[in-house]
Amino acid sequence: MFNYRIAAIIKRELKEKLFSKTFILMTVLIPVLMFGIIGVQAFIATYEGDQDTTIEFITDSIEMESAFQQEFQNLEFIKNGYYKVTYNTMNREQFNEYLDAKKPDLLSEKLNGIIYVSDTAMENKEIEFYSKTPKNITVSEKLSGTINKILVANYFADKQLSSDEISYIRKGVDFKSYKISEEEEIKEEGYGNMVLSYLFTFLLYISLLMMGQMVMQSVMEEKQNRIVEILLSSVNSRELMTGKIVGSSITGVLQMAIWLSPIMVVISTAWLSLPEELLFNISFNQILFLLFNYFLGLVIFLGLFATVGAIFENPQEAQSGMWPVMLLIMIPFFIALSLMKNPSNPMAEISSMFPFASIIVMPARFTLVDVPVWQFIVAFIVNVGTIFAIFPIAGKIYRVGLLRTGKKPKWSEVVKWIKYKY
Amino acid sequence: MSALEVKNLTKTFDKIVAVDNASFEVPDGSIFGLIGRNGAGKTTTLRTIMGIYLQDSGEILFRGKPVDDSFKSMVGYLPEERGLYKKMKVLDTLLFFAEVKGKSGKKLEKEALKYLKRFDLLDRKLSKIEDLSKGNQQKIQFIATVLHDPDFLILDEPFSGLDPINTNLLKTIILEKKKEGKVIIFSTHLMDFAEKMCDHVAMIDNGKIILNGSMQKIKHEYAQQNVSINYEGDISFLNGHPIVEKIEDFGNTTGIRVKNANQTQELLKLLVDRNVTLKKFDANDISLHEIFIQLAGKPIEELTQEVSHV
Repeated sequence: MFNYRIAAIIKRELKEKLFSKTFILMTVLIPVLMFGIIGVQAFIATYEGDQDTTIEFITDSIEMESAFQQEFQNLEFIKNGYYKVTYNTMNREQFNEYLDAKKPDLLSEKLNGIIYVSDTAMENKEIEFYSKTPKNITVSEKLSGTINKILVANYFADKQLSSDEISYIRKGVDFKSYKISEEEEIKEEGYGNMVLSYLFTFLLYISLLMMGQMVMQSVMEEKQNRIVEILLSSVNSRELMTGKIVGSSITGVLQMAIWLSPIMVVISTAWLSLPEELLFNISFNQILFLLFNYFLGLVIFLGLFATVGAIFENPQEAQSGMWPVMLLIMIPFFIALSLMKNPSNPMAEISSMFPFASIIVMPARFTLVDVPVWQFIVAFIVNVGTIFAIFPIAGKIYRVGLLRTGKKPKWSEVVKWIKYKY
Repeated sequence: MSALEVKNLTKTFDKIVAVDNASFEVPDGSIFGLIGRNGAGKTTTLRTIMGIYLQDSGEILFRGKPVDDSFKSMVGYLPEERGLYKKMKVLDTLLFFAEVKGKSGKKLEKEALKYLKRFDLLDRKLSKIEDLSKGNQQKIQFIATVLHDPDFLILDEPFSGLDPINTNLLKTIILEKKKEGKVIIFSTHLMDFAEKMCDHVAMIDNGKIILNGSMQKIKHEYAQQNVSINYEGDISFLNGHPIVEKIEDFGNTTGIRVKNANQTQELLKLLVDRNVTLKKFDANDISLHEIFIQLAGKPIEELTQEVSHV
């Protein structure tokens, strides 16, 4: 099956891809870009834009006012002047009048909010928050903890509890995660594997799409420039497709290996130490499996992309043919992301062994949970089976499509091609 | 034995029969022309010989055995629509196309440089294809076709879109290869070229081979009943005359076909008797073009309709 013709095609693909500026640029740029995107996302998520928030804090009783004032003064965002809080004491009637008077200020956002803690709040913890945008949860998120603390302290003040007891009551629950591994060991787990799982998912997703586009374009180039007829006078279409896909897949795996090399360095040596909460637990074999699994994935998806490229003549037309293949990459990507919430959900388990989905979902899954060996084997068999299932059809369409020119073919025509004797 | 034998070849696309039960033989050491108008089935025939298409039925025999993948390596194929990898460098391109034919190494590289030198392209060996002029790209294409020293050259409309310099260059290559004992098969709708260059021809029309054999024999056969004349006067009396089978006006000359080969002298006498001034009376002369019209009924497209290709 393998011969000098395929070897020549592979060699050309490797030479063209590995030494291309795009490849070198992408290899460097993708990680930069990815961390950039994650960074920007994290920044946007934490950006609250609540500087210069002015809040009026009104209580029913003067004792409460001083209690709040004392506690609030210690808050970081009040100390550094992000929040300007003024304090006042009023009973309900006075407050209602006062609120009426302050409405214009609230609407013009000269005043961002008025918080009223009536005496009934001492019993039912109901706080009133008047604002133009009361759904702005940054205010309630920032203040509710402190308010709760004071209300709790006030509630238990005459119940004669020790401060130890009160501090216990105030305390929330802390879930500490311990992982029981297959070897029945117990390890406390940090966020490291979560980060890895994200990393794998994004890298696989981005590079599958990128390599796919590249192969599709190069097939279209061959078709457009009519090189393909000269090629087919030397090699048959199966050899051409094999050489092209294997060459590109090797390129892709190499790129992935470069990206993952820092992780391999961390595993195998001690001269890169990570902060404790980022420590991860992954074996060399798992990385190897990921690379191998990715190779199979590339063969599958590049085969599909090459087929799409052969059907159409230019990128505009190919858009319509590309979306089914894109979906096959995007849906697993979303499953892999959903898996971060509950890594052992059944959908994740099934899709990690499902044709097409396995490529992205399995690595995301095995970094988070212990996957039994038989599931790795099933995933492997499924992927190899997928290759054998799609290539006879893809190869046929590829062959017929390559020499077709003229108007954009309909899907019904493409189906007919499968039956052609070519 | 024939170098290549095409037997009862049929190829259909959807419901269109592109090649219809075609048979012909290509003798060793010959230049073989496959002649027909655009759309007659020439390209399909050649692509099927190259294994680019699979035939519906029929056989292609190479020295008596059905062709397989190894045959491809023995052929230099130049399709009508020619293309190269635009971003690839000149020398890399040549070496790649030889490598898929199974040829590589230092000796081949030397050979490639020799060709480049001969075609005045040695200084461009590291240029990208896209930076070459169209004419120079065509030269690279020729070199890529012959660099691996094939036993066969199969050229599909090789002269279409070439400038006069490259036309001559290609002719030289073809004749050189013939001297080396290689077999050259080319398709064309240009009768002039075919007539000047081919030893053997097959004419194809609507997918059917309507004539095939050695040029000499065909001409001899068809010329016997044929007279071409240049004249002044009126020859309309020949229409429907018992010894005349057909009169064709070719512009410069008029071709008259008599019913029997021995009637040419009778025709001459007839013309002289009717006071037609003859400038030329050439018995036993017929052009390939005339033969084609006789057989296919319609003239082939003219050169001016030719669209140029890369």
